[in-house]
Amino acid sequence: MSQATVTHHHAHHFASADDEFEAAKQGMWVFLVTEVLMFGGLFVAYGTFRGMYPEMFHEAHKMLSVPMGALNTVFLITSSLTMAMAVTSAQKGLRSRTTGFLAATFLLAGCFLVVKYFEYMHKIHDGLLPAGFFTNHELTNPKAPLFFSLYFVMTGLHGVHVLIGMGLIAWIMIKNQKGYFSPAFYTPVELVGFYWHFVDLVWIYLFPLLYLVS
Amino acid sequence: MSHDKHHGNDHKGGGHHFILSYKSATLVGLTLLVLTAVTVGIAGIDLGRFNFFVAMVVATIKALLVALIFMNLRNDKLENGIIFGASFMFLAIFFVLTFADLFFRGDVYWKEKGQPFPPIAGVVGKPKFKKAWNQTPEILAHGKQLYAVQCVSCHGADGKGDGPAAAALIPHPRNFHSNEGWKNGRKLTMVFKTLKEGIPGSGMASFATLPAEDRWAVAHYVLSLNGPAEKDSAADFAKIGVDPNKEDAGGSEKPTIPVAVAMERMAEKDTIRVTTIRRPYLMKEGTAEGVGAQIYRTQCASCHGERAQGGVEVKNLGGFPNTIVKTSPIGNVDSGRFQEVVLKGLPGDLMPGHGEFSVSEIRELYNHVRTLKQ
Ligand code: HEC
Ligand code: HEC
Repeated sequence: MSQATVTHHHAHHFASADDEFEAAKQGMWVFLVTEVLMFGGLFVAYGTFRGMYPEMFHEAHKMLSVPMGALNTVFLITSSLTMAMAVTSAQKGLRSRTTGFLAATFLLAGCFLVVKYFEYMHKIHDGLLPAGFFTNHELTNPKAPLFFSLYFVMTGLHGVHVLIGMGLIAWIMIKNQKGYFSPAFYTPVELVGFYWHFVDLVWIYLFPLLYLVS
Repeated sequence: MSHDKHHGNDHKGGGHHFILSYKSATLVGLTLLVLTAVTVGIAGIDLGRFNFFVAMVVATIKALLVALIFMNLRNDKLENGIIFGASFMFLAIFFVLTFADLFFRGDVYWKEKGQPFPPIAGVVGKPKFKKAWNQTPEILAHGKQLYAVQCVSCHGADGKGDGPAAAALIPHPRNFHSNEGWKNGRKLTMVFKTLKEGIPGSGMASFATLPAEDRWAVAHYVLSLNGPAEKDSAADFAKIGVDPNKEDAGGSEKPTIPVAVAMERMAEKDTIRVTTIRRPYLMKEGTAEGVGAQIYRTQCASCHGERAQGGVEVKNLGGFPNTIVKTSPIGNVDSGRFQEVVLKGLPGDLMPGHGEFSVSEIRELYNHVRTLKQ
């Protein structure tokens, strides 16, 4: 299993490896704060327009496919689970198991994007596009393009996060294979985990807000 | 739970850091999936306003599970919890202040849906006639005026059924100088009924958009064109739902302005959706000149006059052929109506809608019009 290992030395401005870990983690939390506020702005915009045009939201959301959205929710939640297990495995020093869970997470993220791709293609085909690009004739509500502006911006930004997450997961997977991590040092795995759980967290709200408007 | 970073060896995992067991992770994952199923399931049941509430509560439970267990916030240092929690606090402030402003400021100015609109000044005004079914010289004169605006195009200036549009209409418009061919009957109540309901399948449209007293007035007038009409019995009054012992013009009917009724109809036809407009709208009298004045001069003055005084005759080509409507002063129109009329316009070719105006443009326009009236 653990053939080659690379020992991690904490940077000299930290008193200990633990200090370094705590500092890195706190940095991650601070970063996630900025993320909350970035998505937060979009959620406020969403709330504003939904409050102004409740009927339009109700009509427009029917154009989204609940099964697809639900499937994607399942993918993301399961990927959060495998990510958590990857962190546990890394903490226990089970290298190939860590790689396995990371690979599973990566694949689930890929599935999410594939589903999203089909959803987007479908919307594009039906002319359910933001603002001036909107050409759909089924939806008569003059404000309907607004819903799709929100839909594409919100899921688009989230999708970019998924893509970045996949890159990060691939990166730690390779590092893990090269033996960079051990029970004494697994900071990157844990922090990418944080990021990934956050991506899941955003989707947990996006799904009911966009797909299940009542 | 210890927050001592240097000696963090007392955490449940036994090692340096807390380790989440595979089993607990799986349990949390399964709970999250079950909650997802709950969210989808509940969305299918109609709980009214509670659907949204329940969905958000479930989402928040899920978010807490992810944050506390997967992200292990529950064993993390308190300060990290505070940092992350603070972002949600700021988000909450963002939400509350924005929404408070957006959805409650307008209440000061906006009428709730369902309140009757006041009649259009100039075209209608306050009801002038009590027991409008009794003929008086005043009501007859009023009917004559209305006839000239509303009916001439089909029934002709003299009421002979030979207006400019008559030739194209089959059946031809009624000749009021004859007793022949009356479908509803040549009685005051029946003309009133005709005006309310129209004659289906013919060019005679419903004039329910006219206030009841106007319909009485014009009915008096058309009947005055020929010999005495048949007397109305109590049963006739009952048929049209009017109690002749009451004072008001149309029995239980409230005068509705053409604008509101026509817009309702358009809503039925789905061409324009009339929703309760609850838009942000801040009115500070007379603050904005520039934009408002400019828009008014270029887009409104031609029909409403240099000083919003009205009195300009506008042809309505859309509704009934060539009706001419005199515009009324608009300086006193309340803000809600102002925005609605300006955004949607009036039916037919009366007044163009300006859906392209932004809220602030309309506000400036409104302020400008208010200053004009002085
Ligand atoms: C668009 C053309 C048009 C306009 C405008 C119009 N009418 Fe008519 N009206 C008709 C036609 C056509 C008929 C004949 C309908 C039929 O015979 O079925 C008619 C019939 C009538 C009748 C006879 C109803 C009956 O019992 O047979 C009355 C009364 C009448 N109109 C009153 C009015 C009055 C008052 C106005 C103005 C407020 C008016 N109309 C405006 C086209 C018009
Ligand atoms: C083509 C002519 C025309 C133009 C241009 C026009 N209007 Fe009108 N407007 C009318 C007519 C006709 C009415 C209905 C009769 C009335 O009440 O004055 C009306 C009604 C209104 C009313 C409702 C009056 C009431 O008592 O409820 C408002 C408010 C109004 N107009 C504002 C505007 C503004 C602001 C503009 C410029 C953006 C404008 N109008 C441009 C023709 C016009």
